Amino acid sequence: MIIKREEQMKTGLDRRRVASFGLAAALMLGSAALAQAQTTLRIFTGGQQRPDVMRQIVDVYQKNNPAVKVEVEVGGATSEQQQQYLNTVLASKDSALDLVLIDVIRPAQWAAAQWAEPLDSYLGAEKDAIMARYLPAYRAANIVGGKVIALPYFADAQFLYYRKDLLEKYGLQPPKTWDELKAASQKIMAGENNPNLRGFETAGAPIEGTVCTYLVPMWGVGEDLMKDGKLNLAGDAAKKPFALWADLKAANVTPPNLAEIATDRIRQNFQAGNLIFGMTWGYVWNRAQNDADSTVKGKVGVVPLPGFTADKPATCIGGWQVAVSAFSKNKAEAAKLARFLSSPEVSKMQAILASHLPVFPDVYTDKEVLAANPWFAQALPVVLASKSRPVSPRYTEVSEIIRTNMNAFLAGTRTADAALADMSSRLGPILR
Amino acid sequence: MSTIRHRLTPLEKADRRLGFAMLAPAFLLLSAVVLYPIIDLIRTSFTFLHLAQPWMGNPFVGFENYARALGDGRFHEAVWHTVLYIVVTVPGAVVLGLGLALLANKPFTIKWPVRLGLLLPWALPLVFSGMIFRWFFEYNQGIANAIVRGLGFQPLNWLSDPNLAFFTICLAIIWKSSSFVALVLLAGLQTIPRSYYEAAEVDGASDWQQFREITLPMLRPAIFVALIFRTITAIQTFDIPYAMTNGGPGNSTETLAMYIHKTTVDFLDIGYGSALAVLMFIVSAVITTGYLKYTRRDPGRH
Repeated sequence: MIIKREEQMKTGLDRRRVASFGLAAALMLGSAALAQAQTTLRIFTGGQQRPDVMRQIVDVYQKNNPAVKVEVEVGGATSEQQQQYLNTVLASKDSALDLVLIDVIRPAQWAAAQWAEPLDSYLGAEKDAIMARYLPAYRAANIVGGKVIALPYFADAQFLYYRKDLLEKYGLQPPKTWDELKAASQKIMAGENNPNLRGFETAGAPIEGTVCTYLVPMWGVGEDLMKDGKLNLAGDAAKKPFALWADLKAANVTPPNLAEIATDRIRQNFQAGNLIFGMTWGYVWNRAQNDADSTVKGKVGVVPLPGFTADKPATCIGGWQVAVSAFSKNKAEAAKLARFLSSPEVSKMQAILASHLPVFPDVYTDKEVLAANPWFAQALPVVLASKSRPVSPRYTEVSEIIRTNMNAFLAGTRTADAALADMSSRLGPILR
Repeated sequence: MSTIRHRLTPLEKADRRLGFAMLAPAFLLLSAVVLYPIIDLIRTSFTFLHLAQPWMGNPFVGFENYARALGDGRFHEAVWHTVLYIVVTVPGAVVLGLGLALLANKPFTIKWPVRLGLLLPWALPLVFSGMIFRWFFEYNQGIANAIVRGLGFQPLNWLSDPNLAFFTICLAIIWKSSSFVALVLLAGLQTIPRSYYEAAEVDGASDWQQFREITLPMLRPAIFVALIFRTITAIQTFDIPYAMTNGGPGNSTETLAMYIHKTTVDFLDIGYGSALAVLMFIVSAVITTGYLKYTRRDPGRH
């Protein structure tokens, strides 16, 4: 009798199972049919790379390609926060993202981790001709081991933003050296007598941008982190950044909380009228000129960063690339969208809508682009001369070591010697 | 189970089988989400696995990762910071929580505002609390520096001075976790019969004597429960310092959990990160068994 009951239960279960299987199968078939009608591509971008402009650009693409729907996913405000999220998505081989906007420092890392689908086969026979049109630095950054890992979306470099009105008021020219910048800041701060007004800010928080805060002064004296394949932290050049920022801090030109300043905070302080000089990226121009809450509209000037001597300016290369995820289920469609996003017309759109620097040399001289960004006329030589942060598959570690030490120094918790010792011992095994 | 065996009737057998069958999904689920990850974590901790270097594979390296941890200054600092957080925030939260619980236990006519005040910090996600406190102590716009300026002093680097940063993080953790402690202690307080206090009152005991002789001893088990839970969460301190300073300035407020997160999620050094996680697990287990032994040896004097 019991056996009978069990049997009954079993058959009951079976029947229900068959029914639910049928239902699931029907649902799957239904969604498969929908998917065939339309391809949905999902692109990931950081909150600071103007997702609103990305949306406008993909709307144009959707209009021309009605079978494709593009979703824009927005994440992390800073480069390392974005990579943190992407690390978890990609390490689990998640197919949710088809395209990803990546920082110029990442292609080597993405190639090594096998997260990016190499685009060579999608570019076909035109590959060399297509790549030849980009600015050389971006061509070089996106080809790793002979393979095209990503396509450039926009270029970037660090510039010196300054308050045109304040410099004119005190009869000053934009500074060409750090000493001139210090003197100009002190003169204006003393004259304005505004306790909120600061002379100069650069990234000092433990974020990606702070790597450039360390490297720019080192490049300024003609040296680099690596020399002949070896770590180059023993000489005086490696101490130069600490000396420069300590000097500006001692002169009260930088704020006491420089160790808390992240990239976008520089723009906020500049737009609020609390900053004379800011060392930051191209996107700030458009925001400072157009944001509703900007108090400095029409008062903004942009020039190349100062150097230790006027003839030797140095700057950090930035910029963002479109990579196709190796785990995407729509690689061919994604590669097509990547090519569109990396086209001269999109470069021009971005230049006008977001003051994103173009990745094609001829877009810099486009009339409409220059009307929106008069300073682009001087920007091309800066981008061409800008230098790269170290290239390594383990770049996240390299970056963390440099920025943590720079940040500890700016906060006054580590001396220059202690920071250099920590950097040498930890970078050594990674950058062999 | 009793040692006396008796033959199970077919009906009992079927019931037992049904019982196991009904427990099986829960068992399988727990195995999948708890047991398997722990076993895999321990296995991984004995291997090299660096996802940024997939060509290096996943070779067995014995105790290499553990040896590396012993010689890793950053790991030692992270452990030290975690110990400091435990030493400051566990007693801090228990003392503040006890105060809040005693307050909430007062015979107010309207109880809900006090109880809501107790629940709110506890219900708030940890990261939000961290972000709120970061804004309190932000250099330019924060309320803390507004007060400091109002008093005529120079604003302080709350988040970029290592000592002040440690202080503000402790403050945030104590604020956040004292409400949980208070809830546990409030439950304990309500089990103490009123008659004890009435008797003490008749005998002429002062409020302080009542607190020392009745409340504290009767509350011992509840305090221990609160201490154990608070200590375990303190060992795992992550969200609040992550949101407030991200371990900065330098790595002066970085906890063990943050270093593990950085090693695995940022650096993708899964092998080494797993070894660090196993070490944290061991520390956690040792402290918890210590507590449990202590409570069992001396089960309260009431």
